[in-house]
Amino acid sequence: MKISKQYEAIDEAMHEYRHKSGFKAYVIPKRGYSQKFAAITTKFGSIDNKFIIPGEEKATGVPDGVAHFLEHKLFEQKDGSVMDKFAALGASPNAYTTFNLTSYHFTTIENFTENLKLLLEFVQNPYLTDESVEREKEIIGQEIRMYEDNPNWKVFFNLLRAFYKSNPVRINIAGSIDSIRSIDRQTLYTCHSAFYHPSNMILIVVGDVDEEEVFELVDKQFGETEQNEEIRRVYPERETAVAENYVEQAMAVSSPIFQLGFMEPGEVEKGENMIMYESAVKIIQDMILGRGSRLYERLYSEGLINNSFDMDCNIEENYAFSIFGGESPDPARLRDVVADFLQKGVKESLDEQDFERKRRAMTGRFIKQLNFIDKIAHGFISVYYKGAFIFDYFDVYDKITFGYVNDVFRRHFNISNMALSVIKPL
Amino acid sequence: MNYKSDSMEPECIYSYGGTSIFMISCSKFKTNSISFFFMDDLCRERAAKNALVPAVLRRGTQRHPTQRELTLHLQELYGASFDCGVSKKGETHVIYFSVEFIPDKYTAKSESLGKNVFDMLWDIIFDPFLKDNNFKEEYFLQEKENLSWLIESRINDKVPYAVDRCYEEMCKGEPFGVYVYGSRDDLEQISNTDLFNHYDKMIHTLPLNIYITGNLDGETTEYITEKVKSGRKHCQPYKHKKPGADYLSADTVNYVTEKQDITQGKLTLGFRTDIWAGHPDYYRLLLYNAVLGGGINSKLFKNIRERSGLAYYIFSTIEKFKGLMVISCGIETGKRNQVENMIMEQLNEINNGKISDEEFTTTMKTVKSGIRSLKDDHRQIVDFYLSQFIAGTNDSLDMLTYKLESVKKDEISGISGKIKLDTVYFLEGQ
Repeated sequence: MKISKQYEAIDEAMHEYRHKSGFKAYVIPKRGYSQKFAAITTKFGSIDNKFIIPGEEKATGVPDGVAHFLEHKLFEQKDGSVMDKFAALGASPNAYTTFNLTSYHFTTIENFTENLKLLLEFVQNPYLTDESVEREKEIIGQEIRMYEDNPNWKVFFNLLRAFYKSNPVRINIAGSIDSIRSIDRQTLYTCHSAFYHPSNMILIVVGDVDEEEVFELVDKQFGETEQNEEIRRVYPERETAVAENYVEQAMAVSSPIFQLGFMEPGEVEKGENMIMYESAVKIIQDMILGRGSRLYERLYSEGLINNSFDMDCNIEENYAFSIFGGESPDPARLRDVVADFLQKGVKESLDEQDFERKRRAMTGRFIKQLNFIDKIAHGFISVYYKGAFIFDYFDVYDKITFGYVNDVFRRHFNISNMALSVIKPL
Repeated sequence: MNYKSDSMEPECIYSYGGTSIFMISCSKFKTNSISFFFMDDLCRERAAKNALVPAVLRRGTQRHPTQRELTLHLQELYGASFDCGVSKKGETHVIYFSVEFIPDKYTAKSESLGKNVFDMLWDIIFDPFLKDNNFKEEYFLQEKENLSWLIESRINDKVPYAVDRCYEEMCKGEPFGVYVYGSRDDLEQISNTDLFNHYDKMIHTLPLNIYITGNLDGETTEYITEKVKSGRKHCQPYKHKKPGADYLSADTVNYVTEKQDITQGKLTLGFRTDIWAGHPDYYRLLLYNAVLGGGINSKLFKNIRERSGLAYYIFSTIEKFKGLMVISCGIETGKRNQVENMIMEQLNEINNGKISDEEFTTTMKTVKSGIRSLKDDHRQIVDFYLSQFIAGTNDSLDMLTYKLESVKKDEISGISGKIKLDTVYFLEGQ
C-alpha cells in the first residue's frame, strides 16, 4: 500500500510503502542532490533485554549488550566483510545501536540500486559461527574498556543510574565484560529471528531517487513474507522519582566534569504530543541556560561554566530526561545556583518575548537541517520511533504556545527530580 | 521548481575597484547565505592582526554592543547563523565573514529577513562597538588571549599539525611558511590602537569578494548592492600571484624531526611539482594525486595500509596555489625508513607507467564523484569559486569535470619528472 504526503509549507514530500510483511519503506526525494542515503532500522536496542517471542507464552531474557553484539556480527558474511562489498560499489557504510534501535546505512553517489539491494539482503542473513562469536567478544571487550575510560561517557551513564533504579536505559549499550561472556550463537539467532523480521523494521531513503524503484526492490526482497505478531517487550514498572540526587566518581581528568539532569516523572504520549513536549523542553533549556540567558552570563562570569557547556534532551517512549553538562570547578555550587533560580518559579523565570525568539530560532535551525541528506535521514529515524515524522516539527513550532511551555516548565524542571553526576579528578 | 537546471555558477552582478558581488542561484537549498571575503597578501607583519580583527569584531556592534545581544538578535532572525575568521589560500590571507538564514517564505509573517540579516553582517564588519575610537579594551584583551591560546593549542591535533609543519619547513623563507593565525610573538606586540588602524585600513583598502547563494529576491539583492556601493570606496583590485620558481630549489632533501610525547609517529613528505592551478598540466596533476593517494583505491592506501598494515592512515594532497604535494601518514616510529621507501616505490610505479586500466577508471570515478558532491553544499560551492578567483582560473565545476575526463592514462605518468621531493618532516614519539 502506497501513501504520498506533501509538506507544501516546507517544500518537502514523503512516500510511504507498506509491504504485506509489515515492513515499511519511506522515500524522501531530494531533487538535484548527488548523494543518496539509505538506512534500514530495527526496533531493537539495549533496553530490549526481556521480551516475549511471538507465539510463545513465557518471556525470554538475554544478556546485556546483545543488540550491539548482533550489529557487529551482521557485517561478517561467509564470503567476507560487507564493508568491503559496499566500498567496491563506491558506498560508505556504517551502523549504530542505541537504547531503542539498531540502524545500518550507506551513503553513495553511484550504484544506488546495487547498494540498496546489498543493504536489504545482508541484514536479513546472519552468518554466525562459535569461533566468530568468541572472537567478537574480544573486540567488543576492548570497546567496553575504551568507554569505561572515557569520562564523558561515564558521567552520562552515572547520571542515568542516578535517575533510574531499574529502567534498562541505565545499562551500558555494549553490555559489560561479564554479560557478553554469556552471549552465544543461539541467543544471537533467537534475537535476530524475532527482531529482524521485516514487520519490526523500516527503510528510509533520502536523495534524488525514483521511489517506485525502491519499493520494487523491497517487494523483491521480502516477497511473500507474512506479517508477524508484534513482539511484546517486558519493561520494569515506570519510575516516577529519581533514585539518587547525587553521584560522583574519580577519574583521570584535569578538572571536574558534570551533568545536571531532570528526569521526566510522567509518561509522555507518543505522536505529535511527544515532539511538542520535546520541543517545549528544548525551548525552556535554551531560555533558562542558553547562551543568551542571564543565568548563563552569571555562571560564565563566576567561572562556574566555560565554552564546553552544552545541553541535550531525550524524550522517548520508555525513558525521558533533559541534561545540562560541561566542565566546572564546582558542580555542586552550580547545581545550587540553578536550583535557586528554578525555585523562583515560572513568572520570574520565563519571558514571553524570549519564548517567541527561541521558537523562531528553533524553526530556522530545523529548516537549515533540511539542506543535508544525512541529517534528514537520521532525524527521520529517531522521530519515527516517537510516533511522528520529521517534517511534522515545522507545524509543531507554529502551534506551540507560551502557556504550554509554562506547563512543561512546572512539570519537568522540578527540583525534586533533579540529579547531579560528577566526575572529579583523582 | 526544476533543481536540475541550477548550474550553480556565479554571476557577477557588481564589480568596481576591487569590490565584486557574485550571485549563485540555487533553488535546492533551504537557506540563503551572504559571505564577505577580504583578501590580503599573506605575510608575517599582518597575519596575526588579520586573525585578531574578526575575533574582536564579533564581540559587539554599535547597535548590539554585547555578544549576548548579538546572540538574541540572531535568534530573532529565525536562528540565522554567523561565522567569521581567517584562512589561507596559497599566499593569500582570506578574512571572512558570513551569514546563513532561511528565506522569508518559511517565516510566520513573511518578514524581510534578508535585509535585516545583511544589516547585521554589515554592522559587525563596518560598525563595531568602539570606545574612544578604539575597540573596547575588554574585548581586545580577551580575544588577544584567546587567539594566543589557539595558536599554542595547534599541537593538540597532530594530523593537521604534521602537514602544516612540513609546509612551514619547506617554505621557510616564503610567505607560504607563515601560520594562518600568525605567531604568538607577533600577537604579543599588537596594541589596541595598532589593531584599530589595521582594521580601518583593511576594510577600506583590501580587495573584497561577496558571494550570495540561494534564492534571494531582487529587492534584497538591490539593497545589498546599493549599500556595498556606497560603503566601499575604490581600492586596488586583487592581483593574482604567479607562484613561479622563486624558491631555493634544493638539490638535497631537507629532513626535519620533532619529538613529542605521542604513541603514533606522523610522517609527512613535501614535494614541489611546478604545476599550479592554471598550468596546462594541472588536471593531470589532480589525477596523479588521486591515483597516488586520493582514497581507499589509491596506491598508497592499498599497498602501505591494506597490504602491509604499516600505516593507520595515509593520503596525498595537492596545494594548488603554490604547486605543492604532500603525503601524510600515521605510522609506528620504528617503521619510518621502511614506509619512506615504500612511498617512493609507489611514485616510481607511476613514473614507470604502472597504472592499470582498472586503477585509472576507478580513480576517475572517485574524483568525479567528489566534484559532484561539492554541489550538495553551498559552502563548498562558494569556497570552490573563491579558489578559482584567487588562482586566476575560470573553471566551473562542470568544466573541471570535462577537463579531467580529457586526460589520458599515460599523461599521468608523463608529469612524474616534475615531482621532486623537497622536505621530509617526522613527528616522532619519545
